[in-house]
Amino acid sequence: MSRPTEVPGSTPLEVLPINGITAKPAKPAAARRTIAVLGNPNAGKSTLFNALTGLRQKVGNYPGVTVEKKVGACDLPSGRRVELLDLPGSYSLHPGSPDEVIVRDVLLGLKADTPPPDLIVLVVDATHLDRHLYLALQVIEIGRPVILALNMMDAAAARGVQIDEGALERQLGVPVVGISAARGTGLGNLRRLMDRDVEPSLVHFRRWPAHVMRVIRNLEERLPRHPLLPDRGRQDLAMALLLDDGEDDALARAVPPDVQDDLRVLRKRLDLADPGWRGNEVEERYEAIGELLAEVVVAPGRKLDPTRERIDRVLTHRIWGPIVFVMIMGAIFQSVFSWAAPIMGLIDFLVGRLGSSVHALLPAGPLRSLIVDGIIAGVGTTLTFIPQIAILFFFISILEDSGYMARAAFIMDRMMGKVGLSGRAFIPLLSSFACAIPGIMATRTIDNRRDRLTTIVIAPFMSCSARLPVYALLIGAFIPNRWIGFATLPGITLFSMYFLGIIAAIVVAWLLKRTVLKGGNPLYVMELPPYRMPSWRSVVISVRDRSLLFVRKAGTVILAVSVILWFLASYPRGGAEADALRTQITTAQQAGDVAQVKLLKGDLAGSVLRNSFAGHVGRAIEPVIRPLGFDWRIGIGLITSFAAREVMVSTMATVFNLGQADGTQMSLGDALRNAIDPHTGLHAYSPLIGISLMVFFVLACQCMSTVAVARRETNGWRWPIFMLVMMNVLAWLASFAVFQGGRLLGLG
Amino acid sequence: MSLEGRGVSRMCALDELSPGESCVVLRVEGEPTVARRLMELGLVPGTHVEVVRRAPLGDPIELRLRQVHLSIRRSEAAHIHVTTD
Repeated sequence: MSRPTEVPGSTPLEVLPINGITAKPAKPAAARRTIAVLGNPNAGKSTLFNALTGLRQKVGNYPGVTVEKKVGACDLPSGRRVELLDLPGSYSLHPGSPDEVIVRDVLLGLKADTPPPDLIVLVVDATHLDRHLYLALQVIEIGRPVILALNMMDAAAARGVQIDEGALERQLGVPVVGISAARGTGLGNLRRLMDRDVEPSLVHFRRWPAHVMRVIRNLEERLPRHPLLPDRGRQDLAMALLLDDGEDDALARAVPPDVQDDLRVLRKRLDLADPGWRGNEVEERYEAIGELLAEVVVAPGRKLDPTRERIDRVLTHRIWGPIVFVMIMGAIFQSVFSWAAPIMGLIDFLVGRLGSSVHALLPAGPLRSLIVDGIIAGVGTTLTFIPQIAILFFFISILEDSGYMARAAFIMDRMMGKVGLSGRAFIPLLSSFACAIPGIMATRTIDNRRDRLTTIVIAPFMSCSARLPVYALLIGAFIPNRWIGFATLPGITLFSMYFLGIIAAIVVAWLLKRTVLKGGNPLYVMELPPYRMPSWRSVVISVRDRSLLFVRKAGTVILAVSVILWFLASYPRGGAEADALRTQITTAQQAGDVAQVKLLKGDLAGSVLRNSFAGHVGRAIEPVIRPLGFDWRIGIGLITSFAAREVMVSTMATVFNLGQADGTQMSLGDALRNAIDPHTGLHAYSPLIGISLMVFFVLACQCMSTVAVARRETNGWRWPIFMLVMMNVLAWLASFAVFQGGRLLGLG
Repeated sequence: MSLEGRGVSRMCALDELSPGESCVVLRVEGEPTVARRLMELGLVPGTHVEVVRRAPLGDPIELRLRQVHLSIRRSEAAHIHVTTD
């Protein structure tokens, strides 16, 4: 069954790789050499990337997709500096995830924004050679220059695995170097190799049955020549087209439309003749790997790893497993919730100090107001998220690196699967109770695109810490402190609000997975990696990257919206009433009546806000929110709370002339309770309106930071806009039902 | 193989095995792209597979093959035909 390794139609290679690529227009002749690091998940690829680049890394996204693009600078012994590209971990060039699509597209030269690398460092785990060589052989065959880095040689040696590197080199036709990325051994040899011009291998491993091979060759001949793809790589492109059902854009664009049409026919014909044809090549490739390894590796048969088994017997135990899981999650939640608080307080304090220093430096006027209340306040909002993001990613990165994350997903898969989510959705959702921003960022650990989008959309339903002050205000104002059985009425109300958010999330997830985000039952396969000590370097890098990314990408949107909201709430600067108040303030100041000045300043702030654009918008939306029991004053609060939900509290304080400084919750609660509706002369707000407003806050998406981060994480406006509309419509309907239903029951 | 010394081997689907049992893959069926994917992860015919454990709620299951631990759902395991050791 073994086929000769030389396949007709593939031409010698001196034509393309290095020379061919430097001739490419997108990359000027003087451009820096690019070397890609590629390997299976868990091959130690990121560790190697971090070891080679240190902290000189940049994280971005591949345009149009949510996959992360990491590049860094690496110095070689010759003194030349190359650009290192960290390609996402992959099992195969025939993709099963968006990450793998990127890898295939880059290697096949289909990605316009990322030209193929000049050299590929293929990282394989020396203790799992048969599995990892699967991808390695696929990559070597394309005909690009490759260095095979045998990682974890220390672990292999410890297990008695002997690898004849010279023999492996001859078999594969590429340079082989043994390293340990975690310990830093062998990296000097690797760097020296990276400095050399490496010839692509001529070896072929793919063995298709004759009838499939005919189809592939025929396809190959019809493919146009491509400047970014070595000639022999065209057969891989043909294979990709045949296997990957041509749904995806980059691949479809690579071929003429008539070939596209024929592909469907060809595939159908193959399916009829031989339903198992897709698996054939996989089987043959593993067989080839088996034969190859028999000549180069001596490995003792291994039983289960005893340490791993001992740990797993507890962590995935029927009873202990879930208990440990709940404890770890509880600890993370508690840390994000409470450790962040003092740092956030400190940031608030420092930003406040900065604001007041600037306030003192600048002359009064619109510029000062813009800088202090618009820009500095907006920067402050962005910065206060950093502690939560940093703490959450500190834990996530430890959980990922140690191997526990996979176990957590293993334990939770069944439960989350009921709603159509992956087990990995648990941490993002839990974190969202502290804040949806880090929660949405944490969805990165979910590999399935649809699961990830669903999790992003439902994350803001978890009642975050910014809603708590609003609940506290409204419960304090309207819910009597009475015991009902074992709990107090305020306690039950607060719990119900959290519970309502969870129910809404489950329902929306369920609906999404049955409608827009349907799409087969995605395959769930997950590797359970061995336990490892997390490396501090990668923890630090992960925390730093997440925080910087948030500031750069979401921070700009947050700042812009802050400035807009500042403008809406401060302009126009008030009419006759405000002028009269200003005169009174001056008089009171001259008389030295401090208390009176304070009172009048509160009145002035209230007057300006009520007559500002935000005030007008609040009045304009009153007809829309009236059926929910809200008047225009609450309307203003709903608008300004877009900056951050807790701003609702200070806005209401200003609206009711309490002044921001004096707006303690108690007095504001009294003010709300006693507020009079000017039209009826009766109490403006009832407990029913309080509940209706809380329900609105549970369900509505009224947080610009959430929208900004969802835009960044989904790489587009589609999902954040969907989230905004869907949540706010849902919030309106629910509040409507509560208020109107309550009135029908005579509770109003 | 022989019948002496090792229990009687039976042919069944992978999801029917209990933790601790091991088997050899005969063929992978089901949706073609899913089947190919499972094979790419090492579940090709002839591979020796051990069922290590089930998750606390009974699903998914943990497999050990080629020195690697994989977890797959039982619904997927039902498409993998095996013969037990």
